[in-house]
Amino acid sequence: MKVAMIGWEYPPFKAGGLATHCLGLTSSLADKNILVDFYMPKTKHRVYNNKGNLRIIEVGETEIYPYDRPDEKDLSGAFFESVYKYNNLVVQKVSRKHDIVKYDLIHVHDWLTMKAGIALKEKLGIPLIVSIHSTEYDRSGWLYPNQWFIDIEREGMEKADLIITVSHFTKRTIVEKYGINPDKIRVIHNAVYPLGEGEKKNLVLFLGRLTIQKGAEFFLKAAKKVLEYENTKFVVAGTGDMFHRLVDTAVHLGIANNVIFTGRLTDEEVRHIYQIASVYVMPSVSEPFGITALEAASAGTPTIVSKTAGVAEAFKNCLKVDFWDVDEMANKIISLLRYDALRNTLAKEGKREIMLFTWDRVADKTIEVYREVV
Amino acid sequence: MRLNRFSVFHIGKNIHPMNYFNQTLNKNIFEKVANKCYLPTNNLLLKLIDQYKGEFKVSFSLTGTFVEYCQQYMPSLIESFQQLFSTGSVDLIEETYFHSLASLYDELDEFEEQVLMHREMIKQLFNYRPMVFRNTEAIYDNRIARKVADMGYKGIITEGTEKILGWKSPNYLYKPINANIKVLLRNYTLSDDIGFRFSAQGWVGFPLTADKYAKWMANTPGDIINLFMDYETFGEHHWPETGIFDFLEHLPEEVFKHENLEFITVSEAVKRYEPVGEIDVPWAISWADEQRDVSTWLGNEMQHACFRELQDIGKKLKEKGDRDLLNIWRKLQTSDHLYYISTKGFEDGAVHQYFSPYDDPYDGFINYMNILQDFKQQLIQ
Repeated sequence: MKVAMIGWEYPPFKAGGLATHCLGLTSSLADKNILVDFYMPKTKHRVYNNKGNLRIIEVGETEIYPYDRPDEKDLSGAFFESVYKYNNLVVQKVSRKHDIVKYDLIHVHDWLTMKAGIALKEKLGIPLIVSIHSTEYDRSGWLYPNQWFIDIEREGMEKADLIITVSHFTKRTIVEKYGINPDKIRVIHNAVYPLGEGEKKNLVLFLGRLTIQKGAEFFLKAAKKVLEYENTKFVVAGTGDMFHRLVDTAVHLGIANNVIFTGRLTDEEVRHIYQIASVYVMPSVSEPFGITALEAASAGTPTIVSKTAGVAEAFKNCLKVDFWDVDEMANKIISLLRYDALRNTLAKEGKREIMLFTWDRVADKTIEVYREVV
Repeated sequence: MRLNRFSVFHIGKNIHPMNYFNQTLNKNIFEKVANKCYLPTNNLLLKLIDQYKGEFKVSFSLTGTFVEYCQQYMPSLIESFQQLFSTGSVDLIEETYFHSLASLYDELDEFEEQVLMHREMIKQLFNYRPMVFRNTEAIYDNRIARKVADMGYKGIITEGTEKILGWKSPNYLYKPINANIKVLLRNYTLSDDIGFRFSAQGWVGFPLTADKYAKWMANTPGDIINLFMDYETFGEHHWPETGIFDFLEHLPEEVFKHENLEFITVSEAVKRYEPVGEIDVPWAISWADEQRDVSTWLGNEMQHACFRELQDIGKKLKEKGDRDLLNIWRKLQTSDHLYYISTKGFEDGAVHQYFSPYDDPYDGFINYMNILQDFKQQLIQ
């Protein structure tokens, strides 16, 4: 089977979980004798690949940060222009390749590549698979979602032969908010490459984009509460449009001495901080999946996640809270810091359960979806 | 028994220990189950005993906690049990007053006290002294068997699992290698056919009818078939719509069609039959889960941590000798609290989750451990 897959990020270039997903998925597909041409925008980074069945094809020259919330002035600005440009270039490039390769299907990820997917399906007359890793509702935290994105997303979902979502939570969103027929949606939970355990330090970790979606302000409010009872450090790792507001919040809460903002971390630093954290908290307002929770657990770090996060439906050995319930979040953080037995059991059982979350399984399930349309 | 939500922020706030327990919820659950199960089943049993002139017999094992709930929320239920007992076809089984794991503590003094409390309660309510003992969840090992024998009981009930029997049949009496007492072994296949599988549509025995079941029993070799199950089997685990009450109603009639079958109580069983062999149980068994051991309550580090706290608190309490706090401690020993912390629930089907008031075992641990920490602090004051 030959697949033209269109994405926008691939390690080492990484804005979110999608890069991790594309690496895991394409590598495991290649191992299963699926020929994958992965199209992505050209970046300054060198993409490394040693799989015979996998080709990374870079198109044009744009770096796009699709998770940043657009300001009004951006709506007609360079950001959208580069998205259009990328989609147009991809359509041309895939069409030319198709004459030689004869693809069996097109597989696109999220709204950025939908236009190209739709155009190619019409032009080449082959099936279109759309993977939804997040929707505009998630990225906006369900506050003022942008209709322009929603329209693109809906069109892509409607034109797709089948849709893959990363959770039942996301499936529900696209049925309820986009009016998509649930019969053409397949749920495939994400996976993780286990990180391995490190020596734990007395710190509680938030790691993710600092956007409204990820709920870092709830983490800070819980931290305030925890610090009234326990002496520990809180680390906010990552960057995003809410960075300055969050720093201000920490100062206003009077906990600045116990909160460390790291800014953007390298892959090596990310791995390290997962390994030394005693507790990982993912208080996302809206989280289609949340691979970071699996990454933390794979490093033997007990994890607290939003009840509604996609990962919470699939991964059992973590603690679950409502993202707005900072008292309960603090209760759980303090319990984890105090009770060795709780920490140890979560770490042990979590690492064991992580073994079930393989990209091999994701690839198998994805191939099943391909077979349905080819 | 249900606990209130208790976060780390409640610890040390001088909350009265009676408020650890969710009394409203406990009352509601009790009343619901009493109406669905205890009352209708008692009435049916009474009718059957009368109908078959005392030849239909049952044995009850009632904890002190259960009796206290009856007294508080539905005293007529006590009268109903007394009426059943007065027929002479109903036997009573001894157990610990609280549904506790006291038999697994380092010292057996607390276990003995709880058994004596139960003995006193049965004497008060029924003017009777049980001959046969059944521990919480049928937990049993050599040490428990000897203790129970030393306390004067003639029989003890536990699970007829292959783990202790090997090729031997559960349908005879046995004797522990180290004590002089008769062991009655639950026939788990036939018991669970009713208790677990009665309404399971995918089961080959479905639908289970009284005549089919009586035939199975008639074809079972041995002296005695011990059928033990949760009372909630009737009307709660299996709702009336499943036909469970019809099954029970027709069971005596079908049983009496077979010449080799009759009903006896546990006391009659230990009087009538002699052990056919010895059993050796160095590690505790129970009738719970697939493993039939105590890993349901003591299977992970969190459960062990709580269990240790519980025992530590006990040592401090006994020095202090405060009766009210002692009573709270004993209520906290109810095995349910540890059951909810089992991580086996994730694999062992939905059984654990079905009974649990918590989202997951970790929530259960945090709540219970917070209460134990608070209780410990209140002791020191």
